[in-house]
Amino acid sequence: MDGESKRWTAAGRKAAAVGRIAFRHQLAYKTDFAMRGFFLLFILFVFIQLWSAAYEGDFSKSISGFTLKQIVWYLVFTEALTLAAPPLCYRIEEEVKNGDVAIRLIRPQSYAGYHFSVFASEALTRFIVHLAIGSAIAWPFVGPPAFGYGWLGLLALSAGALTVTFLLLMLVGLCAFWVEETSGLYFVLQKLQFTIGGMLLPIDLMPEWLQRVCAWLPFQAALYFPARMGVHFDAALLAKQLAIQIGWIVLLALAVSRMYRRGVSKLHVNGG
Amino acid sequence: MLALQTRGLGKTFRVKRKEAGLSGSFRSFWKPNWETKEAVRGIDLTVREGETVAFLGPNGAGKSTTIKMLTGILHPSFGEAEVLGLTPWKERERLAYRIGAVFGQKSQLWYHLPPIDTFELISRIYELQRDEYVRRKDELIERFELGPYLHTPVRKLSLGERMRCEIAASFLHGPRLLFMDEPTIGLDAVVKQRIRELIRERNRVEGTTVFLTSHDAGDVETLCSRAVVIHHGGVLVDEPVERMKREVLSRKIVTLKLTEGADPAALPLIAGTRWETEEEGCRLAVDLKRTTIERVLSELIGRVGFTDVNVEDPPLEEIIKHIYGMKGEAD
Repeated sequence: MDGESKRWTAAGRKAAAVGRIAFRHQLAYKTDFAMRGFFLLFILFVFIQLWSAAYEGDFSKSISGFTLKQIVWYLVFTEALTLAAPPLCYRIEEEVKNGDVAIRLIRPQSYAGYHFSVFASEALTRFIVHLAIGSAIAWPFVGPPAFGYGWLGLLALSAGALTVTFLLLMLVGLCAFWVEETSGLYFVLQKLQFTIGGMLLPIDLMPEWLQRVCAWLPFQAALYFPARMGVHFDAALLAKQLAIQIGWIVLLALAVSRMYRRGVSKLHVNGG
Repeated sequence: MLALQTRGLGKTFRVKRKEAGLSGSFRSFWKPNWETKEAVRGIDLTVREGETVAFLGPNGAGKSTTIKMLTGILHPSFGEAEVLGLTPWKERERLAYRIGAVFGQKSQLWYHLPPIDTFELISRIYELQRDEYVRRKDELIERFELGPYLHTPVRKLSLGERMRCEIAASFLHGPRLLFMDEPTIGLDAVVKQRIRELIRERNRVEGTTVFLTSHDAGDVETLCSRAVVIHHGGVLVDEPVERMKREVLSRKIVTLKLTEGADPAALPLIAGTRWETEEEGCRLAVDLKRTTIERVLSELIGRVGFTDVNVEDPPLEEIIKHIYGMKGEAD
């Protein structure tokens, strides 16, 4: 094994170790899990009522290629993904404010790599739990999620979707190295994900000019791609969307890496 | 061999100056007024491997900033530094395998999990061989007496127990150089003493270089062979602790809690001491060059009624102030 592959193998082992401990650590937050689950049930119930009214309770009616059943399951998938993301921006901001970033930086591990391991471990657990909770409410109202290979498409694109979300959050979180206060930026990012990311409404239902704008932004790769593939499986489109996700991951990872390198040289660690 | 060397190492920060009040906030928003603050002003320092160095100074003197530059956490604004042959801020990850750090006010342990889980994680992060990890872990558990609470969630440990785990965790990967930023802060006297003994033992057994900042004179006296005092970001004094002890650590404070009805005005005069009466008790400053604690206590017993007695070092701030005074006179 050459030096470079040894380095990557070691980095992978470290990431797995951090992921394992983060998984065990989050199990302590039972109330947080319960609150999130309750909120998901509530929000999905409201959405089901709203969309049932829009479709006039007609299960055969189709709007822009989506039946009522598909739109409800689409929302289950986007909500499960959205609520899966841990509060990364807040964590980085707090680390900089209280000086805990020093503890991360004295370790022989990449700073972004550490946060990715924690994020992936928590997000995957939450995503599975949220899918189960979402299914518990969607199934009785609109029936089972029988969308052929849809589940395969959803799972194939969800890993990339969560990675894109991580990188977007990391970009905002790293701003804390300069400004220490990122809540405003995070608010904007979150609202962009809600709207042009396709969380509240599939992008197909948006005006055409907006769809063209969305096609050039990373937000659709984080929510719309996996959720739409979950209810509308298309093998050819799956390959294309995977390629787009990989493209965004490479681009955003380069941006995170550049931003980290610049930010860490400007960093002012607070506290003794 | 050198553990670390710095040449003119310094750090400046840009700080926003804001005037008081609402109008000040508006002015600062539209036209921020930035000021450059010099946290560390060109430090020249050399530490040999195996040394135990106390890095002292009042709050804001630049101690923690210097440690953060030497561990690669902060990038300096000017100057050079080499730690174990590496430039910390350029080769942070490589250096991290060879050094350890304890920040007294920050925890590396996972809050909801027992310390053993963090130990396990550290073994993976530092790529320790399995048998080496088990051997070192067992040795540290035994020496630091961690057995009883190794499987207790960190949130349920006392500060003293947690700090012992923190320090043991920092020694787990066998660092050649250990930076400690106020490792005994907030601990009681017994735990402080135990922690000092354990660090001293690691230095003796493994030859670990210790670079420590503290506001506790006891840490300096017990742990360190050399003291470096900085002020306004520059080195003011660099000398062996033994010499410092002779010159400025030659004082102890004896605090008495008088029995009810005892008259503080009638306290006996003892050679080599000076009374400093306080509200809750009476403080006796003892000059160890002129008398001993034993002699002072034996003179007090029988002549003064007291319910409690405490013997301690004068606060480090007082010692440093004294050093500044001495330097000022010399200059």
